[in-house]
Order: sequence, then structure tokens, then C-alpha cells
Amino acid sequence: MNGERAKNAAIQALLVVNGVVMLYPLWVMLISAFKSNAEIFTSPFALPAGLDFTNIARIWNETSFVRYLGNSMIVTGASVAVILVFATMAAYAIARYRFRLSAAVFLFFLSGLMVPLKLAIIPLFIQLDMLGLVDNRAGLVLVYTAMGLPSAVFILTGFLHTLPGELEEAARIEGASELRIMLSVMLPLARPALVIAGIQNAVPIWNDFFFPLVLITSDNLKTLPQGLTVFMGEYNTDWGVLFAGLSLSALPIMLVYIALSRQFIAGLTQGAVK
Amino acid sequence: MASNRLGRLVLAATAAWGMAFSAAHAGDITFWTWRQEDKVAYTELFNDFTKANPGIHVKFEAFDAPNYATILSTALAAGRGGDVLATRAYGGLEVFAKAGYLLALDKVSVPELGNLPEDALASETLRADGRVYSLSFASQTLGVFLNKAVFAKAGVAAPATWDEFLAACKALKAKGLIPIANGTATAWMDEVFASVFTNPFLGPQFVSDVLAGKTTFEDKRYTDALGKLLELRDYMPPGYTGIDYATGQQLFLTGRAAMFVGGSFEIANFRKQNPKLEMEFIAPPAPTAGAPRYVSKFYDGGYAVNAKSPHQADALKLVRYMGTKAYGDKFAALLGNISPIKGVEITDPLLASVAKLNETSMPYIMAVYFRYDSPTGSELLSTGVQKMMGGNETPVALGEAITKGIARYYKPFQK
Amino acid sequence: MSVKRRRPRRWQRGAWIALLLAPALLVMAMFVAIPLLAAFRYAFYAFNGLAATHFIGLENFRAVLLEQPFSAWTLRALEHNVIVFVALMLLQNGLAYLIAFALLKALPGHRVHQVIVFLPVVLSAVIVGFLWKLFLHPLFGLVNQALMAVGIGAHPWLGDENTALGSLIFTNAWHWMGFPALIFLAAMQRIPREVMEAARIDGATDRALLRAIIWPLVAPATTIIVTLTFIGSFNWFELPYIMAGLDGSPGGATDVLGLYFYRTAFGNTSAGLQDFGRGSALAVLMFLFLAVVSALALRVLRRREIEL
Repeated sequence: MNGERAKNAAIQALLVVNGVVMLYPLWVMLISAFKSNAEIFTSPFALPAGLDFTNIARIWNETSFVRYLGNSMIVTGASVAVILVFATMAAYAIARYRFRLSAAVFLFFLSGLMVPLKLAIIPLFIQLDMLGLVDNRAGLVLVYTAMGLPSAVFILTGFLHTLPGELEEAARIEGASELRIMLSVMLPLARPALVIAGIQNAVPIWNDFFFPLVLITSDNLKTLPQGLTVFMGEYNTDWGVLFAGLSLSALPIMLVYIALSRQFIAGLTQGAVK
Repeated sequence: MASNRLGRLVLAATAAWGMAFSAAHAGDITFWTWRQEDKVAYTELFNDFTKANPGIHVKFEAFDAPNYATILSTALAAGRGGDVLATRAYGGLEVFAKAGYLLALDKVSVPELGNLPEDALASETLRADGRVYSLSFASQTLGVFLNKAVFAKAGVAAPATWDEFLAACKALKAKGLIPIANGTATAWMDEVFASVFTNPFLGPQFVSDVLAGKTTFEDKRYTDALGKLLELRDYMPPGYTGIDYATGQQLFLTGRAAMFVGGSFEIANFRKQNPKLEMEFIAPPAPTAGAPRYVSKFYDGGYAVNAKSPHQADALKLVRYMGTKAYGDKFAALLGNISPIKGVEITDPLLASVAKLNETSMPYIMAVYFRYDSPTGSELLSTGVQKMMGGNETPVALGEAITKGIARYYKPFQK
Repeated sequence: MSVKRRRPRRWQRGAWIALLLAPALLVMAMFVAIPLLAAFRYAFYAFNGLAATHFIGLENFRAVLLEQPFSAWTLRALEHNVIVFVALMLLQNGLAYLIAFALLKALPGHRVHQVIVFLPVVLSAVIVGFLWKLFLHPLFGLVNQALMAVGIGAHPWLGDENTALGSLIFTNAWHWMGFPALIFLAAMQRIPREVMEAARIDGATDRALLRAIIWPLVAPATTIIVTLTFIGSFNWFELPYIMAGLDGSPGGATDVLGLYFYRTAFGNTSAGLQDFGRGSALAVLMFLFLAVVSALALRVLRRREIEL
């Protein structure tokens, strides 16, 4: 089929063009990590003059990079884990059972997406302070969890809603408990949705510096993006250093995604079995 | 409420823990600022303070500048925050002082207030009660930076009048240089840019007329001065509407542009980025030969004491130290800023030349007088200048928009 | 939901549902709902600097809706948000739908492409904003260099009032396209093979397939994407903040509700003042608008799903 082949070639071409558009800026990000401010601004797309590790050295010497990275990993990891567990439970209840307040509960969760929580920073801070959670990683995790739950519940409800009911019914007839049905029958089918909800929350949490800036003051508790704000001065930002730092900080989450994307594909093929 | 009781329990537990913590560090106070880049200098200044006041250690804590006001107001609302706080001046000080977050200072608690000139004290005074809440740390002067090497190479002399300025720009452009590095993409810099060039055309008389309610920003003097800015468009970088502050700085620092319109706060930062750069800071051009070339001046911010600080006595000691000539001398030398403290010696020749220009200065109008209520004169002017320079608004329409906006809270403008 | 045999006792079922919901509801209530309600209260108070002084009813609402220049700014920001939503739906989500279909074909290398399309999503907005400022730069930008190579002149994309918002939308699409693409892909892969093959045997072209088979079958994914894009568009903050600043440069051409609200509540360091009263009033209005429209839209979108 010649037409089919031509069409596939066109689709390949589309993907390749898209790939270039997606990857080229990442390349620029990478080379900028080795440049000075002057170089970034006057020849942003040229290769750096040399393989200069000054920027990376400055990050190493002027910040507690490893500690910040560790804190970011702890905070993001814990937040995403709690979000996924709590959101899955709630979404499962909303999507798989009919109960009177179902719609109201769903809208309550959704409404959490509609206002920037930044607005409430002062009451939130006072409340966390009362609980002894200011300048504390657990406080940050709770805030991120609360912020992430709405979208996670929303996405997971959407997916769980569409899962076929027959499997659930069959298990029920065999006398499986509701918990068993949820854990071993339904949730494995929702793996792609869990990956999507997880990554959709992990990225903003990993990159956020607003809440740590307000809630964390001890240097040994700072997260990576927060720690890197030292290079943003009032009148001058060290872009080269910031690029180096932010590229390094993007790396772990990229690797996590690449690892998960295999999971994701595996999950998809499983889900397709019907 | 059960959660409340639980909260109180946890609170008590943490308070106990917190007390244990602070007991271990008695004599420690913290200083909060948005100037992350000044850590080294302040560490040295605070070491001097500790030498003179053994037992009081000052911890420097700096926060991301654009978010500083948010971080500070949140902490203060919860009764936290540093013991000594860097504050902004004028309206930016008042929002904090009005809420009672800052300790009022007077000549008894801080005799060093006497070392400051009147206008510096005024910049940190709450107008409603006439009390000073912060000890001013720097004045800033707005003018024009020249790259001396670029000017010399092009064979162009530093201009003194508006016509000379345009002629110099033309000559620089003919040599393939960008005469003025600034673009208009960063809004707050547009207020700087407009103020630098319009002030010599306006003169102090215009300011007194506005303050006396005799005229508005619809005054022909004002709109004509704004119109002058349009003549500069040919000498700004190609695509200047898309050139932001950071690009403008780099164009100047790399010698691609000959001039940069900005404030004395750039000096330290320019030097750090290009130590070889030979620059000069000049006053903006005068409308006619021999007329005064007014630079724009304002106070940057000050040092205040947190009203809820548990270490107020120590905090006041630090603020008193920050008002001494010794501190001012070292502050100017280490940070390259002009300390307003009387008698401070400025050794750096470039900074000294700026201090000299201050003798012929005018207030940075919007920041000093119209940044106390919304919409501020600053936000109206800066976004308006952006529109005007982009060719989307006339000077007359801009003067009208500013006047109308300010009229919301300024009685003399209400017709 | 289906009829249940051996139906567990009523209270057991209720307890089970409550147990599933409780942790999420508790966290949401504690750290989102209660603080937000407290902040909403500010909307009804007069402020003296940062301190709330007294109740003033709807005065702050009147200011942002009826008093110049605030009302003009509110309207302008709202208009921009609507444009952002429509443009992102077409550009970002439309492309994502096509890319997802291309990936679905499982041509050689599709796994690599699936990773690539999502990589920008993990980047911080600080980096993305700055990178695209470089690409769109009037002097050095690659976009202009490419245009000049084909004979079109340089253009200050972010400096021109007519192209600034569009440039931001494009950058946002670049940053986030991978996300809807992945959701669409997940939904498309769940469509049973037999359905697709049957359509193929009937001689359906790709276009017919996309329109008549896939589009209705991915309706649940569309619901998720439309709703998230809608809410996201009206809370848009980070990218315009980094690329255009709190004032929505140039001249307010990129001002959106997120920037306007933040600038009003927390002040613009070098130009404005903090005003929690008016800032909260704006936030309350944004919330009401989003809540009403999303609730209505969800009804329509969900009905589409049920009709299958």
C-alpha cells in the first residue's frame, strides 16, 4: 500500500519536526549552563567558548546543592506519594459508587483548583505556625498535598469512571471484598492514570519556590529551586549559574519520567485488554 | 473545636522546644533583607558590630527580592520575622508601619536618627503619625551611564544639552553602535527612563505646583517633556519594545551600546560583571545650554525593628550602629551605594561623582509622592510610557490617564 | 453503576465510602478550604496598610468592577484569559490530539517520541520563560534569524502589543503540550482493537477514524483536558510573570487575571502597593466565575460521555 506508506512517512515527519522543536531549546538550556551572562545574551545559540565549569563550581561552592537536592526529593516524593494514595481512595469512591453527596464532594475537590492558594498564604502560614509546621518539611508536604489533591482526584475520577464494570461485578460475585476489588482488580487498570496524575503533580512541586520561600527559612531545610534563588539578585540575575542549577535539577525528574514512561506503556497495553 | 485543642497542644510543645532553642542562642538576632547579593558585605559589617557589642551575633537572612514583601508580610502577620528588617521607603514602608508591625524610632531610642538629613527621615516616616519607622540606608540617583572607551573610540564628547545629546546619539549610531542600551520591555525601568529625561525639562517648580494642587500631569510642561522621550526612539536598540532590562544591561556591559539610563544602584553590579569597564555617570541633558541638569533622587529603603521582636534591645543596638558614620563609610565602600548619613566619606571616584551630582537633584516624582495609594503614579507612568514608546498612546493621553488615575485619592486632581 | 449481588449492609457501605474519602477531604479542608475562606473574608474588609480595619460590605467588589482604572484592568485581564483559553484549546490541545494519534500508530521510534514530547513538561517555568525570551529576542533571537533568512523582517515578538500575548501562548503550548498528548494517548490506547480494525475494514480513512471513532471514544479524556485547560488558563500566572512581568508588559497587553490579582494583593515591588482587600475581591470573583462555568461545562461534557 503505497498511500499508507506515504501517510506513515508524513506522520513520521510530523513527529520528527515536533521532536526537533521540543529538543532544541533543551539543547540551548544545556549549553547555557556553560556560559557567562554576557555570552548568553550576545550569542545565546552559539556553542560556549569552552567547556567552562565555573557555573557548576559556583553552585557547588555557594549553595548546599546536595542537601537542597535531598530536601527536594524528600518533599516531592512524600507529597506525590500521599497525593496518589489519598486521591486514589477519594476518586475511587466518587467514580465507582453512587452516593448522595457524590457530586458535591467532587465539586468540592475541583474547587480547590480554582483559586490560587497564594491568596491564602497568610492564614495558611498562621495555621501552620500554630501546628508547629513552619520551617518544617512536613508542613510543606501537607500544603503540596492539599494543593495537588484536586487535580489528582479529578484526573483519577475521570479514568476510574470509564473502567468497565464487568470485572468488578465478576469479582463481587466471587465474594471478593470491596478492598480486594479496589486493590487487585480495578487499580492495576488505572496505572496510566496514576502515572499521569503523579507526574502532573510532581513537576510543579519539584519546581516550586514560592511556598518554600515563605515557609522555610533554615538553610538545611531549603529545597533546590528555593536555594537557587540566591543567584537572582535585585538588579542582576546570574543566568548561566541558574541554567546550570536548573538543568541539574531537571535531570532527576526527567529520569523518573523516562523510567515511568515504560511503566506507562506497559500499563496501557494491559488496560487495552477488555 | 477539637482540632484547635490539638493545635494548642502542639503549639505548647513546639513553644517549649522553641524556647529551649532560643535559650541556647541567647544574644542572637536575625536581619532580614531582599539583598541576597550583599551577604559578604553584611557579614563583615555585622562582625564589626559584634566586636563592639560582644555577645550579640547577627544572622543574615536574605530572600528573593520580588517576593520579599509577601514573605515579610506573611511572617509579620504571624508575629514572626527577623528582629531587624530591611524595609522599602515611602508607600512601601507605610503599608507595614500602618499595620503596627514596626517599632517607631525616635531620637531617644535611636539618637543616630540625628545623623540623617530631613528628606531621608521623611522617606521612612508614616505620614499619619509623623513618626520615623526605619533608618534610611541609601539614596539612589538616576542618570546616564557612559562607556568612556566607546565614546572615545567614536570620537564623541559627553553631551550636556538635549540637542547635543541627540547629536551624540546620531554620531554614535553612524559608527554602527547602539547609542542607548535601554529597551522598554521591563515596566519599572520605564519610570526610571522617563524620570531621567523629563526631570530637567520639568524642574522643581513643576513638582511644587503639583504638590500645591496648582497643576496636574495634564500640564503642557509635563506632556511636552514626555513627548521628548519619543525623539529617543531612533537611538534605542532595534526592536527596543522587546528589549528587557537584563538585555539592556548586557548591551552596555559588552560595549555594544554606548549609554545606559539607570540608577546608581547599578554601579556595584556593573563592576562585578565587567571589572574592566570604564564608565562615567552623568546628569541628563539640560533643555538649553547652561540650564540646570537635574538628576532624580530617592531613598531606597531602611532598617526597621520588628515590633514583636523578643530581642528589641539588641535589635535597637544594631539599628543604632547602622546609623553611625563608621557604618555609613564602610557601607558605601563595600556595597558601592551612597549612604545618607551625614559626613560619610566616599572614596570611590565614580560614586563620589554621583554624590556630587546630588547637589543638583530633584525627587523621583512618582516614587516619592505618588506611591502611597492605588493606582500608584509609578504603575500608571511605567505602563503608560511602554504604550507611548510603542506608538500606542500620545503624551497628552498619557498625562490625562495618569491624572485621572491619581485623582482617585489625590483631592487636588478631582475636578 | 451496576446492580450488586450480596450487597453489603448499608452502613458498611457508607462507612467504606467515608473511609475512602476522609483523608483527602481532611487535608483539603485543613490546608485549602479553611485558609482560603479566611482569605475570602478579606474581600469584605477595609485595610489600613496590611491590617484589616473594618467590614465594608461589597466596597472592594465595587472598586474592581466599577471604578476606573481598576474596572478597565479587570475587563482587559478577563478578555486576555478568554483568548488564552481558546488559543490553548486549539493550539496546544489540538496539536496534542494529532501527536497522540501519530504516537498511537506505533511507528518505529514512537517510544522515543513519546518521551521527547513530554520532556518540556518537567522543566521549571523559569527556564522555559527565559529560553523562549531568548528565542524571541528582537536582536539575537533565533526566530527572527529564521524569518530573516526567508525574507521577513525582525520583529520584537514580546514587545509588540499585538504579538506579545500570542508569543506567551505559544510558549505555554510548547511547555505543556506533552501533558494533553499523554492523556489523549492513554485514552486512545484504551479503545478496543476490534473497533479500530472493523472501521479500517470498512475502509475508513485516518481522518474519518479520528473524527467518527476516536473523537467520541476519548470523550472522558477530553472532559479532563478541557476542564484543566479552562481552570489553568484562568489561573495563568507563572509564565506571563517570568516573560512579561507583573505589569503584563508591554502596556498591559499580556495582563491576565492571575497577574492582576497577585499584583493587587501582594504589590509590585517597584511600582505598586499591597491591598489584600481588592486582591481578595478579585480572587473571589475569579472563583465564582470558574466554579459556575466549570460546573455547567462539566454537565455538558459529561453528558457527551454518557451518550456513547
